[in-house]
Amino acid sequence: MTPLEKQLLAAPRRHRYILTVAAIVLLLAIWSFTAFDLKDIDPSGLTIAWTIFQGIIRPDTGLLLGFSEQNVGYLLLETLAIAFLGTLVGAVLAVPLAFLAASNIVPKPVAWLTRLALIVIRTVPALVYGLMLIRVTGPGPFAGVLTIGLTSIGMLAKLYVDAIEELDTRVLESMTSIGCSTLENIRYGIVPQLSAVFLSIIIYRFDMNMREASILGLVAAGGIGAPLIFAMRSYKWEQVGAILIGMVILILLIEIVSSKLRMKLIRG
Amino acid sequence: MIQFIQASKTYAGGTTALRNVNLTIKQGEFVAVIGLSGAGKSTLIRCINRMHELTEGKLLVDNIDIAKLKGKQIRQFRRRIGMIFQSFNLVTRTTVINNVLVSFVPELPMWRKLTGMFTREQKIKALEALDKVGILDKAYTRVDQLSGGQQQRVALARTLAQQPDIILADEPIASLDPVTARAVMDDFRNINKQMNISVIMNIHHVDIALEYADRILGVRKGEIVFDGPSSQVTAEMLRHIYGGEWEAESSWEASAAYA
Amino acid sequence: MLDRLFPPKRIALPNGKAVMEKRSRIPLIGAGLALCTSASVYFTDFRLQTLIGRIDQFWVIVSDMLPPDWSSLGQLWPPLLDTVKMSLLGSIAGALLALPAAVMAASNIVRSKPVAAAGKAALSLLRTLPTLVTALIATFVFGLGPLAGTAAIMLFTLSYVGKLLCEQIENADMGPFEAMESLGMTRMQAFRFAVLPQVLPGYISTSLFCFEGNVRYAAILGYVGAGGIGLLINENLAWRDYPRVGMIIVALIVTVYLIETVSEHFRKKLI
Repeated sequence: MTPLEKQLLAAPRRHRYILTVAAIVLLLAIWSFTAFDLKDIDPSGLTIAWTIFQGIIRPDTGLLLGFSEQNVGYLLLETLAIAFLGTLVGAVLAVPLAFLAASNIVPKPVAWLTRLALIVIRTVPALVYGLMLIRVTGPGPFAGVLTIGLTSIGMLAKLYVDAIEELDTRVLESMTSIGCSTLENIRYGIVPQLSAVFLSIIIYRFDMNMREASILGLVAAGGIGAPLIFAMRSYKWEQVGAILIGMVILILLIEIVSSKLRMKLIRG
Repeated sequence: MIQFIQASKTYAGGTTALRNVNLTIKQGEFVAVIGLSGAGKSTLIRCINRMHELTEGKLLVDNIDIAKLKGKQIRQFRRRIGMIFQSFNLVTRTTVINNVLVSFVPELPMWRKLTGMFTREQKIKALEALDKVGILDKAYTRVDQLSGGQQQRVALARTLAQQPDIILADEPIASLDPVTARAVMDDFRNINKQMNISVIMNIHHVDIALEYADRILGVRKGEIVFDGPSSQVTAEMLRHIYGGEWEAESSWEASAAYA
Repeated sequence: MLDRLFPPKRIALPNGKAVMEKRSRIPLIGAGLALCTSASVYFTDFRLQTLIGRIDQFWVIVSDMLPPDWSSLGQLWPPLLDTVKMSLLGSIAGALLALPAAVMAASNIVRSKPVAAAGKAALSLLRTLPTLVTALIATFVFGLGPLAGTAAIMLFTLSYVGKLLCEQIENADMGPFEAMESLGMTRMQAFRFAVLPQVLPGYISTSLFCFEGNVRYAAILGYVGAGGIGLLINENLAWRDYPRVGMIIVALIVTVYLIETVSEHFRKKLI
C-alpha cells in the first residue's frame, strides 16, 4: 500500500458520534411535539396578533406620559426600585453563602451541602416565592423586593462561587510570606481580585432582575406587571402598547448602561 | 497571461494606491514585487483576482477583461487563481486535510456543501497535494498543533488542490524563521518550474527575492519604478525603490548570513 | 470628565519628580448608591420592622410544604413532562433559528450596514421582552396550553443565543474567510467553512446554557396558562395545599438538577 492509501484509511471516525447525537436530539424534538396538538391552533389567532400589533403602534399616550400613581412612568420607577433593592439584598446575602459553597475555602462536605441548598433556592419558581412572601409583607412592592432578593441569591451565589474557585492563591502566598494576618490577606489579597468580578456579576443580575420585576405584578407584588395583566385581560391593547413601550425602553436603557459599566470593569 | 493597461486604483478616502500601471506577465513567470509597506504591492496583487477593483484602466487575464465579470463568473475566475497569505489563513480548529478539501467546495452539490462530506476522489486529490509539499503524515493533525512553516505548507497544498494557473502570494514568508522560509521558497520554485504555474509574490526580503524570482517589480508610491530580470537589480535601484531608506551594504551581509 | 470636577492630586517626590494621582471615585459611587437605595426604599415601602416581625410566616409555609405529598406524584408527571417538552422544543427551535438571525446581524458577513444594524436592533428588542409577557401574548394568539409556552421560549432563546452568537461571529478571525472568498466561494459558503467551525463550540455551549435556564422559566409559564406545571402550582397554592406544592418543588428540583448535570457535562466537553 502506498503511503497515500494508508493515510486514506487512517481517517478518524468522528462521524458516528456526531450522527448519534444528532439522532438523539431529533428524537427528543419529535417527542416534545407531543405536548400539544397542532390541530388545536385557532386561525383567529392571527387576527388577534394583528390587533395586538396595532395596539402597540398606537399606544395610549395619556397612560404613557402622565405622572400619577396609575401611570406608566411611576410604575416603571417602582419596578426599577424593586429591582435595585432586590439585587442589593440578594448581592449582600449571596456573598457568605458563596464562600460556604466554594470547595477551595471550606471542607468538601460543607461545600456540597451549601450547593444543594443553593440549588433548592434557585429552582423554586419566583412566583411561588412571591405568593409566599405576600403572606409576610402583604401585597405590594415590598414583597417584590424580597422575591427578587431571594431569587437573586441563587443565581448570584452560583456565579460568585465560579469566581472564587478561580482565585489566584499565589497572591495570598506572597502576602503570608511578608507576615500578613488572615484578615489582611482577605482584605488586600482576595478582595481586590473579587470585587471587579462580583460587581460585574451584580450588574448583570440587575439587568435580568429588571425583567423579572416587571412581571411580579402578576401576583400583586408591585411594579408594572399588574396593570399589564389587567389591560391584556380587558383587551385594551392600546394600554398594553403603552406599557410595553415604556417597559422596553427602560430595559433597553438599563442594558446599555449596564454593558458599558461591565466593559469598564473588565478593561479597567 | 496577465496584462495591466494604464491601471489605477484610488480608494474612497482619496489615497491613490496604484498609478498608471502598465504590465504584462506571461504564463510561468516567477515575479517578485518589492517595495515599502503601503507602496501598493498588496493592492496590485489583490487586483489580479479582483479582491480589489481598479478605478481606471483595464486588467486582462488571458484576454478576459475581468472588470466585466459578474457574480458567478468572478467566482469561477477565482478558482483558477490561488492565494497564499502571510498569516496562512487556515481554519485552525480543524484538521489539515479538511483545510485542503475546502478548495473543492465550489464544485460540490448543495447537500454536500451543507454537510461537509467530500467524495473519495477529492480526498485522494487532497492527500496528493499534501504529499507534494511533504506533509502527508500530518493529514489528520489539527492545524493549531503545527509549526508556522508546516502551516504555510498546508496553505500551499490547499492552493495546489485548486490546480490553479496563477498563484498570488502576499508576504508568504514574513512570519517564518530563515530556515523554514527557504524551504517554503524552494516549494514555490518547484511548483513554478514543474507545473508552469505563474507565481507573483510580494516580499520584503530582497535578497531572497533576488535569489528565487526571475523577474523583479519595484513599486514605489503606486508606480512601477523597476521592471526587469533580477540580475539587473543594482543597489542604487534598490535605494530608489525604498526611497533612500535602503542600506545596500547591510542587505548583502544579511544574505551572507542566510547562506 | 470627573477629572475636571475633581482635579487630580499632585504628589511630589523628594527627588523632584511629581506624579498625578487621580482622585478616588469611591466616595462618589458611595453617595450615588446611598441615594439610589433611599429612593428605592421610598418607592417600595421597604420596612425592616415588618420584615423582622413577620418573617416567621415564611417559615410556617415552608414547614407546611414538608413533608411533601408523595401520593400526588402520579398526577405530577404529565404536566412536568409537558414543561420539559416545552423548554426542549422551544430551545431547539430557538437555537436553530438563532443561526440565520445572527448571521444577518453580523456586520462582517452581511455586506450592507443597515441590514446588520436592523438585525441587531431586532435581536435586542426581542431580548428585552420578559418571557412571561411574550407567553401571555402568545396565549392570546395560540390559545391556552403548551404551544403558547413553547412559542415564548423559542422567541427568548432566539434572541439570547442570537445576540451572543452574533458577537462571536463578529469577533471571529476573518483570515480564513478571505482565503475562501479568494478561491471562489460565495460569502455564505465561506461563512460555513471558515467562520462556522470557529463559533460552533460557543454556539452549542450557549444553547445548552439557555436550555438549562428555560426549564426553570417553563415551570412558571403555566401560571399564565401557557402550559406545564405552573398551572398546577397555581391551583395548589390557591387551595393552600402546601404539601402538594412541596411535592411539585421537589420534583422540579430533581428534574432541573438532572438536566443541569447532563448539560454541564456536555458544555465542559465542548471547551
